[in-house]
Amino acid sequence: MVVGQEVVRFLAQRIALGALVVVFASALTFFFVNLAPGGPASVMRFDVSAEQREALIHRMGLDRPVPERYVEWLAAAVRGDLGSSLLTDEPVAQRIGERLPNTLALAGSALLLSVGAGIPIGVVQALRRGRAVDHVLSLLSAVGLAVPVFWLGIVLILVFAVSLHVLPSAGVTGVASDSLGDRLAHLVLPAVALATTILPTIVRFVRSSTIEVLDEDYIRTATSKGLSPRTVITRHALRNALIPVVSAIGALVPRLLGGTVVTEAVFGWPGMGRLALEAAQGRDYPLVTGLTVVVAAIAVAASLAVDLAYTRIDPRIRLT
Amino acid sequence: MQLLPMSFRPSALILVAALAVSACTGAGQPAASGAPSAQGQPVAGGTVTIPIGADPTLNPWSPNAFVESLFINRVIFEGLTKPGKDLAPAPDLATSWTIAPDGLSWTFKLRDGVKWSDGKPFSADDVAFTFNDIVLKKELGAQNAASYAAVKSVTVVDPTTVRFDLSRKFAALASFLAYNSGIVPKHVLSADPLKTTSFNKGTPVSTGPFKVEKYTSGQSVSLVRNDSYFGPKPYLDKVVFTVVPDPNTQIAQALSGDLTIMILDNKAAVDRVKTASGLTVVSRPLVQYYWLALNQTDSRFTDVRVRQAFVHAIDRKAIIKSVELGYGQVANSPITPALKAYFDPSLSEKYPYDPPKAKELLAAAGWTPGANGVLQKDGKPFQFTMDVGQRGVLEPVNALIQQDLKNVGVIADLNTMEWNAYIQKDVVRRDYTATVNWWTYPSDPDVFPYYHSSAAGKGFNIPGYQDPKLDDLLVQGQSASDLEQRKAVYKQLQAYTSETLPYLFLWYPQEIDVLSSSLQGVPELGLRDAVQYIGEWWLAKK
Repeated sequence: MVVGQEVVRFLAQRIALGALVVVFASALTFFFVNLAPGGPASVMRFDVSAEQREALIHRMGLDRPVPERYVEWLAAAVRGDLGSSLLTDEPVAQRIGERLPNTLALAGSALLLSVGAGIPIGVVQALRRGRAVDHVLSLLSAVGLAVPVFWLGIVLILVFAVSLHVLPSAGVTGVASDSLGDRLAHLVLPAVALATTILPTIVRFVRSSTIEVLDEDYIRTATSKGLSPRTVITRHALRNALIPVVSAIGALVPRLLGGTVVTEAVFGWPGMGRLALEAAQGRDYPLVTGLTVVVAAIAVAASLAVDLAYTRIDPRIRLT
Repeated sequence: MQLLPMSFRPSALILVAALAVSACTGAGQPAASGAPSAQGQPVAGGTVTIPIGADPTLNPWSPNAFVESLFINRVIFEGLTKPGKDLAPAPDLATSWTIAPDGLSWTFKLRDGVKWSDGKPFSADDVAFTFNDIVLKKELGAQNAASYAAVKSVTVVDPTTVRFDLSRKFAALASFLAYNSGIVPKHVLSADPLKTTSFNKGTPVSTGPFKVEKYTSGQSVSLVRNDSYFGPKPYLDKVVFTVVPDPNTQIAQALSGDLTIMILDNKAAVDRVKTASGLTVVSRPLVQYYWLALNQTDSRFTDVRVRQAFVHAIDRKAIIKSVELGYGQVANSPITPALKAYFDPSLSEKYPYDPPKAKELLAAAGWTPGANGVLQKDGKPFQFTMDVGQRGVLEPVNALIQQDLKNVGVIADLNTMEWNAYIQKDVVRRDYTATVNWWTYPSDPDVFPYYHSSAAGKGFNIPGYQDPKLDDLLVQGQSASDLEQRKAVYKQLQAYTSETLPYLFLWYPQEIDVLSSSLQGVPELGLRDAVQYIGEWWLAKK
């Protein structure tokens, strides 16, 4: 396929817009997190004397005005330097880099799980609309939406690790072993727990959009010309029913990343979510800002990917 | 005071509900609780796994060495002294010490032939570096530096002798040196003592029985035996600290056999853990007490009768039963029962729960019942705000105190705050009326920093209580040189503080430790002290 000029222009526009969004997010975060009550954990400890507090604040440069510090931060960030963590003195980019792959593995598996399970469940509900199966699955979806992840996480650990001894309880690897199989075994419970935060939403989207498509004229035409129900559903209904689902998935990516905060804490998963929690509680300003920038960039990229995917699956949409 | 690990904490109720679900699935066969396993001759080998709440910082003086760092730092680094099994200071890197007749200089004789884990020799230079270039350098803001306010400088006398010169008498020096005061290597840290990340977050050079083998951020820190260690070879092969932020996940891990020993922060789970096979549950004394501070800049609280009335009004035994599940005892002074040599048990029934007596004392102070039973004086109701930091048991405790005070006609409104913001408001700005919290301190009765009038308003004297007689006792305690003299001074101090109530003393908590039944040789100390004897721990073969 030849990449047309308009495609290039579209991409350039979207990327420029995305960059603006990311900068805006960084400014908002930087100012808010600095205005929040409290201060870096090393300063806001009970057992630190007033003299030590002053020394630490000065050493961290926090006695200078916020706008001045933001401009300095932005100038460095543009060159790829996100500053140093106030909690560990390590470069923010390095701390995020260590954790990002773990979060992507967890969020990616949760996304695969919820899409892989959500599409068939939604289609089954649409085809059996109003019957017992539909009601039972809808009820399960409602329960899935209502159950908090930290509770579900603990229950999964107690059942599968403590009682049945079939899966490890927490962490990414065992103390002694570090094989691929071991890593996958550690991934199962947190991925399942995280998947429940978006699975019910995907199921509902698939169900309603499939129902809508099934009522369309061309489905009736396809059925009446004698195609098997399987062909009608997979070749005609599903392809069209999935178009709105793709955009829903794009919108669910931020929610998925939000869900990692709790899931990672419960399962001792060394990802970005836990890092964000520690950074926020410890008022690690540069780390909070750096994490926001990375998450904002992922969200922007996800939305761009959805738009591009649209052009492939929906013949009515063109990049102009 | 130590901060609890930074972590995500669902309420105890959630865990109990989750445990109920697991019980339905048949988890845990009842077993004789705390069954002692076969004692016997120690055997070598095995790995001990201990959970911590967050990534540690492996430098005892770093301002970022929070409570999760204490375990490892106490295993790998050694001080001049360490807490003895009776909590009195015992030799560690120093073998003996003498105090000059004027009490203003202490000379420590260092152990011969000690090597750092990289093979380089340890010497008096490292001790002088640790204090002169880190602790006493005010601009670094080193952790724990406030404990050494009386130290002027540390001088190398010869390679195995150092002298601490003091600006005032400081009888507790040897005890304080046993508390989070590990000596760090000059040859590694001289360039940047507190911010060398290959040390703080990597593989630091240390002198203890174990050294860091690998630091994996967010996952674990594993220790192996330090072959350069001067003492007897430890029995254990390895000690692994795993980072598990959620205390409930820690409990689940203990139940599944993934942990060897841990502190049970969520005491609500103690009965469940007791029924698990292969686990032993023990309680340990702590040098810690909970208190209610009433800001002395508020004139309502400067009347001692009001403070005494509050203590009579608060059902402290009910608090211990409810939030500590009985693991604790009523406090009436800052000296905890863990300090056996000093603790005065005769004060334990000084303030029984007695609401009528509380009302009597309040009436004597001019507070009489007004409309709706609320006490009032000069037409103003007795009403104030208590700030509540979201940590540990503070929320339920404040709710119980609120109810108890209401029963005697005092209205306390609770203002619950996120921990970090709470510290800024109540501790840094001292912008509060009343608040509950706790102190943890070195194993010595010298509580000068928390009570002396010079620490009011800015230092650790949170209520801002000022009293010349108490100041005098505090200085006497620091000046007394022999144990009997100190005991006599601190007995007076306990009686005096229980009468005058600079803080309202609530209770002395105990720590609950959960350990694998195969783990032996752990001394009967709080886990954070017991790890300093990790060389004596061993695992019985199953």
